[in-house]
Amino acid sequence: MPKMLKAVVGNLVTKPATRPHPYRRREAFARARGRVIFDISRCIFCGACALRCPASAIRVNRTERELVFEPFRCIICGACVDGCRRGCAQIIPQYHSPAYTKPEETYRAPIEVKEDNQL
Amino acid sequence: MGVKTILPFGPQHPVLPEPIQLRITLEDENIGQVLPALGYVHRGIEKAGEKNDYPLNVYLVERVCGICSATHGLAYCMAVEKLLAVEPPLRANYLRVVWTELHRLHSHLLWLGLLADAFGFESLFMQIWRIREMVMDALEKTAGNRVIISVNTIGGVRRDLTEEQIEETLRTLAECEKQLNAILPVILEDYTVRKRTVGKGVLTADQALRLGAVGPVLRASGVAQDLRMTGYAAYGELGFEPIVETAGDCYARAVVRARECFQTIDLVRRALQNLPEGDILTKPRGNPNGRAIVRVEAPRGELLYFVAGNGTKNLERMRVRTPTLANVPTLLEMLPGAEFADVPVITLSIDPCISCTER
Repeated sequence: MPKMLKAVVGNLVTKPATRPHPYRRREAFARARGRVIFDISRCIFCGACALRCPASAIRVNRTERELVFEPFRCIICGACVDGCRRGCAQIIPQYHSPAYTKPEETYRAPIEVKEDNQL
Repeated sequence: MGVKTILPFGPQHPVLPEPIQLRITLEDENIGQVLPALGYVHRGIEKAGEKNDYPLNVYLVERVCGICSATHGLAYCMAVEKLLAVEPPLRANYLRVVWTELHRLHSHLLWLGLLADAFGFESLFMQIWRIREMVMDALEKTAGNRVIISVNTIGGVRRDLTEEQIEETLRTLAECEKQLNAILPVILEDYTVRKRTVGKGVLTADQALRLGAVGPVLRASGVAQDLRMTGYAAYGELGFEPIVETAGDCYARAVVRARECFQTIDLVRRALQNLPEGDILTKPRGNPNGRAIVRVEAPRGELLYFVAGNGTKNLERMRVRTPTLANVPTLLEMLPGAEFADVPVITLSIDPCISCTER
């Protein structure tokens, strides 16, 4: 009984172990794999990321200079980030919030293409 | 003489997190024959493994199991490394041990929580899962994800640990150990818990060996068999002694897993403290050719990977034998003669992972 009393009093004074989720969100850890983003200005549309994607969430059209990414297909393994030599594919710790629809993200090359970015 | 009734236990049952059906022949409250029915969550992962390029399979096999995914990735990588004759660097081997053992720790804690839940000890279940949450956070901080950590790759690991991360993980483990020490006496010495587990579902050493039981089920029956004794990855350098209990009942299986939690904490600690310097990846070259079998110790027991390559980037065959498949037959000998109220605890005591089994 005295053992239990200690726990009861302890539970009365300590804060709850849970977090009021939608109002107070957990800070993402610095190295967490949240979601994949593309810095398209660096992209040379080589397609290395699409080749390495186990979930086929990336499609690269070299002639149209267009990259289509399906974030809801992505399994956030980071294989595209490992395969990207230009630092275009990146992982940020903030995860993608759930959604009713699963839109694709289309990235196109900027109009002014720099000389060294050309194939 | 009572009337015989066939009662379907599962596939949807509060105590079973995953779908397996046990067709139990009951005579009053006593169990006669038990027939298992599998096949509710078959996903065709082995076939998909033949269609993928072999490096992409690492991410596929991690999804065989939602709890011991790091072990699956490790086993597959080791099998392909055998075919490509690639030797991962020493540091990578140590890091593999760290992450695999952290996975074992959270898997055992998950199971201890589920055991408490199976006999209706809700608060204990939540206490244990709160400790498990610390391990999950440690995994997320070091590997980037809670469960599917994707750290293994062919030829090594994909992430390195910094000094701060090592220290933080060691702190987390110390806290974990402290809280486990406070809570485990409740599980192992409590009157209710002992009443529900001691002497239930007894499996003798002979039976366990004859039925091909693996992992904690086998070790709880007094057979000292643990594949970590073979010294794969860095287990050889770290030194390893299996934990054995002799009673063979549900209580012994709980004790084995509880003691393995501490052993795991100790292994991670030693691996982190003795982490050698150096590279973490040896680049693999070429395509796999030939056949390889790799056996590793998953949290539930022996996990077997058979990989056959034919010199192309696709594998000819990938075969996975998971520990639960080996442990289901033991259920068919443990359950007959028991009372119906003990079915949840006995079923849970083999730590069934049905998604693993059906792949």
